[in-house]
Amino acid sequence: MTVGLPTSSVFTEKSVNAEGFWLEAKRRDGSAIQVKPEPVTNGRRLTIPAGCQATLIEKNESLRPEPYTTQSKWEIVLTQGAKLNHYKLVHEGPQATHHSFLEVDVQKAASFQSHVFLFEGAQIRNTIHVRMTGEDAECLLEGLYVGSGTRVIENHTLIEHQKPRGTSRELYKGILDGQSRGLFDGLIIVQKEAQKTDSAQTNKNLLLSAEAKAVSNPELKIFANDVKCKHGSTIGQIDASQLFYMRSRGVPQAEARRLLVYAFASEMIEQVEVPALREILFPCLNLATSIRK
Amino acid sequence: MLNIKDLQASVGDKQILRGISLKVNKGEVHAIMGPNGSGKSTLANVLAGREGYAVTGGSVSYLGKNLLSLIPEDRATEGLFLAFQYPVEIPGVSNSYFMKTALNAVRKHQGQPELDAIDFLKLIKEKAKLVEIPEPMLSRAVNEGFSGGEKKRNEILQMAILEPKLCLLDETDSGLDIDALQIVARGINALRSPDRAFIVVTHYQRLLNYVQPDFVHVLSAGRIVKSGGKELALELEKKGYGWLEQDKAAVR
Repeated sequence: MTVGLPTSSVFTEKSVNAEGFWLEAKRRDGSAIQVKPEPVTNGRRLTIPAGCQATLIEKNESLRPEPYTTQSKWEIVLTQGAKLNHYKLVHEGPQATHHSFLEVDVQKAASFQSHVFLFEGAQIRNTIHVRMTGEDAECLLEGLYVGSGTRVIENHTLIEHQKPRGTSRELYKGILDGQSRGLFDGLIIVQKEAQKTDSAQTNKNLLLSAEAKAVSNPELKIFANDVKCKHGSTIGQIDASQLFYMRSRGVPQAEARRLLVYAFASEMIEQVEVPALREILFPCLNLATSIRK
Repeated sequence: MLNIKDLQASVGDKQILRGISLKVNKGEVHAIMGPNGSGKSTLANVLAGREGYAVTGGSVSYLGKNLLSLIPEDRATEGLFLAFQYPVEIPGVSNSYFMKTALNAVRKHQGQPELDAIDFLKLIKEKAKLVEIPEPMLSRAVNEGFSGGEKKRNEILQMAILEPKLCLLDETDSGLDIDALQIVARGINALRSPDRAFIVVTHYQRLLNYVQPDFVHVLSAGRIVKSGGKELALELEKKGYGWLEQDKAAVR
C-alpha cells in the first residue's frame, strides 16, 4: 500500500483539554496550511483539505491512581487525495476507563492510516469506523493491545467499502497476560458498488497465562462480485520449541519469554514513522510486557 | 567429562532409550550412528534437557554435576551445546542480538564481563567467516527464511561463538549438499581442541569423512550394540545396519 510520508509537524492531544490546538498540514507543493479541529457533539471534527497530508498524534497518558473516565471522539474527513496518519497511545491510570470513538470518511483517492497502541488502563474500548466513500480510497488500521491483571480491552472496527477500487489492510495484535480479556471485533463490508475492492484483515493473539482470554471475531460481508478479500485470526501461546531453542543457548527462560513477546509486538512499532513516538513506544512495550516473568 | 550410565528415557508411553552407557573424555570425538528410530536424536535431546522426554532410569554426570537436574539454560551456561537437527525460526529476533544475549548469559555465568555491541560485532563477523555466513544474515531474524544449509551453518556459528565444552551435533549433516557439508565440517574441525569434546549423531558415514571420530557407537532400539574406532563407520557404510539389527534380536 503506498501512503505518503507524514509531515514533520504533529498535533498532540493530551487526554484532558485540547482546545485551541491546531494541526499543520502540508499541501502538495510543500507549503504549510493550518487545520483547526471544529467542535461537534461530544467531540471534534478534523477536515483535511484536498491533496494535503498530515500526522495526528493522540496521546492519552495519565498516572492518576483513582478511577476516572476518559472519552475521546473524533470525526475525520479526508477530502479528495488527502492523507492522514493517526497514531493513538493509550496509557491511562490503573483504574481508568477509556472509551474512544473514531469516525473516518475517506473520500476519493484519499488515504487513512491508523496505528493504535493500547497499553494501560482498567477498561479500554477502541472503536473505529471507516467509510470509504470515494473511489480509489486507501485505509490501513493497525492495533497493538497489551493486557495484564484484570484489564479488559475491546476493539471494534468497521471498514465499509462503498466505492470501487478501494484498498484496506487491517492488522491487530493482542498480548494477554494475567486474567485480562481482549476482544477483537472487526467487520469489513464491501457494498455492491465497490467492485475491485482489495481487502485483508488479520488478528493475532498471544496468550501468556492460562487465565487470560482472547476473543476474535473477524467478519466479512461482501455484496460485490469482483473483489479480493481475505481475513484470518490466530490465538496462540509462546512457541515451546522457540523457547527451548533460546534456553538451550543459555538465555534464561524469563529473558527468552520476554524476547519472544517483544518479537511478536515489535513489528507494529517499527512501522511508526515518527521517530519521537517510536522512542516512547518501545519503553512502554517493555514495561507492559515485563510484568510477568 | 561426560559419564552416561544405563540411561533410559521415554516419550509419552514409548520407551526409546533402553539403557545407554557412554563415557566421553576431554578432546574426544564420539560418533553415534544408527538407523532411524534407534534413539539417536532422543539421546541428544535428553542431554540438552528438552521437555517431553522423560528420563525413567540411569544417570548422567557432566563435569562432576548431575546433568539431569539442571534446567536447559544452566546446561548451556555450563558449556553444553546442542546443534539442532531442525533449527527453529524465530521471527522478530535478530540473529546477532540473539547470539549476543546468549553469549553474555554464558559469560555472566562464568564470571566474565559482558561484551558490548562493538566487541560482539567484531567477534561475530570473525566467526561468521569461518562458516561463510554473509554479514546481512547476521542482522536477519534467527533462521527465518534460511535455507537448510544456512540453518546448519548458523548452528555451527553459534557453537563457535559460545565456545562450549561439550558439543552435541544432532544430524548436522542431514540435508546438506557436499559444499555445505564441507563448510560445516571445516567449522567443526576448527573448534576441535584438547579441552573440547564432541558427540556427533549421524545416520550416514559421510560427515565422518571430514570429521574424524575417535570412537564410533552404533545405536539400535535404544541401546549401544557395537562400539569401535572410525573403521566401524566404514564397515557400516558397506554393510548397512542390518547385520547389527540381527545382533539386537539376539540380545533380546
